[in-house]
Amino acid sequence: MNAAYVAALQVGAGVVLFCAVMTLWRRGVRTIVSLLGVQGLALGAVALVLGLHERNAALLASGGLVVILKGVVIPGVLLRASRLDPLSRETRPLVNVPASLVAAAVLIVLSYVSSARLTSLAPSVATRLVPLGVATILVGYFMLVTRRRAVSKIVGLILVDNGIALVAYLLTSGVPFVVEMGSSIDVLLVVVVLQFLLLSMRRHSDVDALTERRELHD
Amino acid sequence: MTTTLWSWTTSLLQVVIVGVGSLILIGFMAKVKARAEGRVGSPVTQPLRDVRKLLRKERLHAHHSSLVLPFAPMIITATAVVAVWISPLVGTHPVMVSGADIFVIVYLLLTGSVAAALAGLDAATAFGGMGSSRAMTIGALAEPALLVGVIALAIQSGSSNLAVIVASTLHNSDHAFGPVHLFALGALVIVVIAETGRIPVDNPATHLELTMVHEAMILEYAGPELALVTLGEAMRLGLLFSLVANLFFPWGVATSSSAAALALGVAALVAKLLVLALVVALIEVRSAKLRLFRLPELLAGAFALSVLAIVMGLVTR
Amino acid sequence: MVWYLLALAFGAAAALAGVVLPRHGRVAVSMALGASSCALALVASVQELVCGVAWTVHVTQLLPFSGVTLSLDPLAALFVALTAMVGLAACVYFLGYAHGPTASRSGVSVFMLFVLALLVVPAAANVMGFLFAWELMALSSLVLILSEQATRPRARSAALWYAAMTQAGAVSIVLGLLLVASSAPGQDFAQLAAGAAHLSAAQRSLAFALTLVGFASKAGAVPLHVWLPKAHPEAPSPVSALMSSSMVTMGVYGILRVGEGLLHGGNLWWWVAVAALGVLSAVYGSLHATTARDFKRLLAYSTIDVMGLVLTGVGAAGVLYDTGQREDARLALMASLLLLVAHAAFKGSLFLVAGSVERATGTRNLDRLGGLVHTMPTTTCLVVIGAAAIMALPTLSGFSSEWLLLQGLLHGFADSSTPAVIVMLLGVVALALTGGLGAVAFVKVVGIGFLGQARSEGAATAVEVSRWMRLAAGLLAVPSVVLGLAPGLVVNTLSRAASAALGVGAASPVARGTGLLLSHLSGDIAPLELLVAVVAVLAALLGANRALVQRRARRVAAWGCGREEQTPRMQYTATSFAEPLQRVFSDVLRPQTDVEVTHAVESRYFQESVTYSQHIADVVEVRSYRPLISLVMRLGEGARRLHNGSIHRYLAFGFVALLVVVVVLS
Repeated sequence: MNAAYVAALQVGAGVVLFCAVMTLWRRGVRTIVSLLGVQGLALGAVALVLGLHERNAALLASGGLVVILKGVVIPGVLLRASRLDPLSRETRPLVNVPASLVAAAVLIVLSYVSSARLTSLAPSVATRLVPLGVATILVGYFMLVTRRRAVSKIVGLILVDNGIALVAYLLTSGVPFVVEMGSSIDVLLVVVVLQFLLLSMRRHSDVDALTERRELHD
Repeated sequence: MTTTLWSWTTSLLQVVIVGVGSLILIGFMAKVKARAEGRVGSPVTQPLRDVRKLLRKERLHAHHSSLVLPFAPMIITATAVVAVWISPLVGTHPVMVSGADIFVIVYLLLTGSVAAALAGLDAATAFGGMGSSRAMTIGALAEPALLVGVIALAIQSGSSNLAVIVASTLHNSDHAFGPVHLFALGALVIVVIAETGRIPVDNPATHLELTMVHEAMILEYAGPELALVTLGEAMRLGLLFSLVANLFFPWGVATSSSAAALALGVAALVAKLLVLALVVALIEVRSAKLRLFRLPELLAGAFALSVLAIVMGLVTR
Repeated sequence: MVWYLLALAFGAAAALAGVVLPRHGRVAVSMALGASSCALALVASVQELVCGVAWTVHVTQLLPFSGVTLSLDPLAALFVALTAMVGLAACVYFLGYAHGPTASRSGVSVFMLFVLALLVVPAAANVMGFLFAWELMALSSLVLILSEQATRPRARSAALWYAAMTQAGAVSIVLGLLLVASSAPGQDFAQLAAGAAHLSAAQRSLAFALTLVGFASKAGAVPLHVWLPKAHPEAPSPVSALMSSSMVTMGVYGILRVGEGLLHGGNLWWWVAVAALGVLSAVYGSLHATTARDFKRLLAYSTIDVMGLVLTGVGAAGVLYDTGQREDARLALMASLLLLVAHAAFKGSLFLVAGSVERATGTRNLDRLGGLVHTMPTTTCLVVIGAAAIMALPTLSGFSSEWLLLQGLLHGFADSSTPAVIVMLLGVVALALTGGLGAVAFVKVVGIGFLGQARSEGAATAVEVSRWMRLAAGLLAVPSVVLGLAPGLVVNTLSRAASAALGVGAASPVARGTGLLLSHLSGDIAPLELLVAVVAVLAALLGANRALVQRRARRVAAWGCGREEQTPRMQYTATSFAEPLQRVFSDVLRPQTDVEVTHAVESRYFQESVTYSQHIADVVEVRSYRPLISLVMRLGEGARRLHNGSIHRYLAFGFVALLVVVVVLS
């Protein structure tokens, strides 16, 4: 049981970071959003595994909420928006793909180095995986900054949120259920609002790249 | 069976299986691709027939070439044979396995690539230069991913000796299915596809200027030298596939010096090679060849996966 | 000790002979004396390495105020041996190379002074002696760079950059050493080491930082490397060989001597900084080497690359030492020292070959070479050995040293402290990145420079160079092979040198026969057996070839795709070979391309000629140094306004300075 718990935890956290790195690698918007879904499922799995191991009902409920919200609902909303423009691809990010992958490698090393102090406070199987969560946050922020398309930026934002959630689960066995629900609904709200903005921008002009805008039109 | 006899038998079996078997493996991959595309395709033993046909032909050397041209195929084949000879493919104790460091194998393969590139430049043609340039670029970009991935495995097993890594994976099944191995496997599969020149990195069946990489380097070879080059390249492919198979899925490797264990080792190696060849052939069917300047993305991704593997190794100690 | 002093005496005699003798016998006698000097130094240093006991001698008459203390411990002996090996080959090479300005009085005598200074720097054991030898080394190499300026248009600019940076570095070293010496009773290094305990941690860090700036600049660490790719190509070839193989190692020697010997390891983060510099240099150097067109500039960048790896190893050793893992620190340092020795041999050989090629064809531009394998076969053989060694192909010295370095880094992963892990990760990534890029650079050198068809008149009419030049390059190719096949032979001496550097006791042996065996990470290589296996297979293949295929090969035209004629212009050049990589890394390299179109006089719609030029400048130089230089020039222009010619103003300056001194003193 213990070996399975350890393996499941490690693989789950690894998949979360792996999906973050893959979103930097792939260009198609639909692929990126599907990766976001996989990441949400992995994050929920981590929470469920932790909940089962510590017999914590709140954690189990939180895990279930994450699986539904971040694994299914949010990617679904994003996919619906991208269906209006199914062939959209990230063609010219500010930092090209190989350079961003090298930057991701550097960020992963950086997060390992900087989380060492945090981990040494309470070493356990779960806390030793904290660098993976910090790396997800950094990679998500990097994506938010360097991608031109609005959908890619939204994906980056959600990556940051997922990373924070992973760190919270690993370090403190999760946040109180109410806080988790509140923050998840906040993210859903942000995504829905951004989608409305996107839709209205698209209706008024052809170009979707945020960097082509110099001022806000009405 | 005494240990020395067993070692020599293991090594000889490995060379024979990988030597002859890789040619058949290439034929098998071509057959799978043909069937998947709805054709009948040439028989699986076609590469063997090609080699035999080439041996009967005349030896031709380009006008401005030097000794490098006839020597390079011998170096490619010799380094591949020695690498196969010392690696633990059928059993964990071939001859000289104590010197079978994973870096030795990687750099032996590099020697072969360098020899091929120099031969391409020796012919004094534009095609040769083009092939060498592109092949060395791909090699230079794949090398970091390969080395870092291999180092991730070495850190986890505590040694860079191949036999120790294989033995350690056999004994710790949590290593075998752990995140380090998963990410290193992903990175190394991409690197193996790049090093052996399969789609999506390079098309081994093309002779169009714009798309040739490896074929351009060996364009000037004819007759017995082309046969040797084909054999050498096939052995490199067989070696790389067998290494991936045995480093990540070592079950079946002969660990004791008995005839039954050896037979099981041979059967396991053949089975693993066939499965891996099937997977690679299906990847080839499903994807298209990438532009040369999209390759850095692919190989940078492999590099990121390798770094991920090392960091996972550090956090899961 | 006697051998070493005798070597110095012979060296001084050689310099004197260079000044005194007439042109007829000058070069021969001087080089004979110089070669004997190097041979004696080699004997002295090998004796020291084998017996392991340091000796010290104090000579009061040579310098005023302090005299010179000479001391040879195993670490210094290793560097002396390295210099002597390359110096011997350089002296032999000089016999065939010298003509015109290089064979003048100043050319020969300053060359011998340079060799002498290089032999003295590692042995100098007091501050004044060390600084004197250091400055002698710098000034003599500066004069030598200028010695061929008649035929080399960029020599003056290179010399200026070199002089400025080396002097700035020397000032930094002086300040650092003075800081360390401030709390010591005397000037000897032994006294400094004893007195360093009285310095505060901040003072020690400052001293290390100051000396690191000077020594890292000498070793070619990015971003202080800018002089190296300018100066090394412009010097005469034997001098380039010495500079690249031996002078840059003095930077590493200095870091080891001051950091470990005088300051006893000190802070962990110093060594992380050293390793970070090393990683940066390795990646940057290999990238520029890949895209360089000038043979010697490529070799200079490759030196920066390898020195970066050495600095990474030294940094790793320092970190491991400070976290208490003495055995692993010694292993990492041994690997760095082996890489230094291997580099001295193969880089020296390659520079000498570059000189031979330049002498035979009149050009260093790889885009204009080619076809030399037919006209200069011995030189081609030597360059293949050197290139194979640098690419770390198995059974040669580069592979053994890189393998040992990798093992040293892998050992460090077992330690769980964060700085050690950072250094190991960075080191591993640097080694991985530079391996592939280095291979591209040297395949370019051998394939484009030597194989194929000659791309210019000079290359087509090349003739094999004199036997002295070939012999010298061959002398340095021998250690590349020997160190690669039998690293176990030298490992014990290296471990003694590493122990002397770190101040730990005697080592546990890692040799097994001629191969290498590491006990507690269970890794080993057996290069001799590997070579035997490869040769056996090659022999078998040759035999099968002879048996199966009776006819000789027929010469035919290469596949021309329907074209009748194949001209040399149709081959790939060095620029085109490296172009894909240059495009991949264009953000880092920032190539400047220029297309100039000349239109016909009659109409703007017709073009008479189109010129395309491309230039890759050193990014660090363009982005950091040139703005700095223009700032300093502007400040200088502003200061010129202070000089308005009025004598009253000048007298007032003097008066104000005197007042300031009086105020400060009181």
